[in-house]
Amino acid sequence: MNKKSTINSSVFIISVSFIVYALIFNPPEWMVIGISIAFIPLSILSFGLLIMAKARKEEEEDRIREPFIGY
Amino acid sequence: MNLMADILLNVLTAFLVGSMLLGLHRKVVARIQMRPGPPIIQHLLHLLKFYIKESSFPKTATMPFYIGIAIIFMVIWVSAVIAGPVTQGPLLITFGIYAIHKIVEHNAGSSSGSPYGKLSCVRAVFSAAGEMPLFAVFIIIYYRTGTVTISEIIHYQSINGSLLYTAPLAAFMYFILILSKAQYAPFAVTESTDIVSGYKTEHFGMLRGYFMIADSIMWYMLLWSFLMVFIGTMSPILYIIGMVGITVGVAFISAITPVLNPNHSVALQIIFAVTGITGSILFI
Repeated sequence: MNKKSTINSSVFIISVSFIVYALIFNPPEWMVIGISIAFIPLSILSFGLLIMAKARKEEEEDRIREPFIGY
Repeated sequence: MNLMADILLNVLTAFLVGSMLLGLHRKVVARIQMRPGPPIIQHLLHLLKFYIKESSFPKTATMPFYIGIAIIFMVIWVSAVIAGPVTQGPLLITFGIYAIHKIVEHNAGSSSGSPYGKLSCVRAVFSAAGEMPLFAVFIIIYYRTGTVTISEIIHYQSINGSLLYTAPLAAFMYFILILSKAQYAPFAVTESTDIVSGYKTEHFGMLRGYFMIADSIMWYMLLWSFLMVFIGTMSPILYIIGMVGITVGVAFISAITPVLNPNHSVALQIIFAVTGITGSILFI
């Protein structure tokens, strides 16, 4: 597992953990709102980054060296 | 209901209803232009397709701001759902989020490094003046109802009747604001096709899907706020009918009018604002 996947998995697990915590333990209102504002967007983003298609090993270099890189 | 469950349910509803309405918007625009158009679920399908697509980040992008601005875009609209349907809190938060949306457009455009994004970024700053009607609407509602809390505005309308009839110019100005945030609309200068996709041009793949999720929530929230602030409490079916009606109206305007030149767009919005404010003061 590379560095990006590790970060994304960690963010996703932490986000979902906080959301589940708020669902089960019913913390104070300000805490639930804080968890929602921070972790709903992060969980959607990290989940997307985890499941999105990845370049094959031999294509990785092409993805980094774009034919047109500047304006 | 548990608050977290309430928030999740409302965010999910906003996302699903918003994406179907945006699909309907495209369908109506196409039908008016004598094209078959995509199916109504196209926006949702499109969004899911992008969400699982490979993303590569352009070298010209300013990291981590390039990703951070996408998160801020989602954060503001999730916050709008919490301040609106969930807690029915202060209207100022909801209106403030509309203003922050302009900052997001500006920064999303500038973070990508693309000339189209940068042009959109300049237009976002320029068209921020178009948000002027928002504050006029806010002041008029305060003068009419004596409150700026959504739940109290709803209560006021249940006793005194709908604000749509007592403050029609404020409702009209708010509709113009909705129009300015719709795709293909005459005021949509920040994402018009002459600058490809504007501030979203370089956010492709998964990040575009993420933007589209936020777009769906945004559209739902714009319509929800309009109906709640100017009509008041209704049954969910009437809400859906109201949202469909406004979306069809916006689509009709989008289909028959070209995107205006940025100068004309802002000038026209300011003219609407001045007319609305003057007219409302005379009404009061």
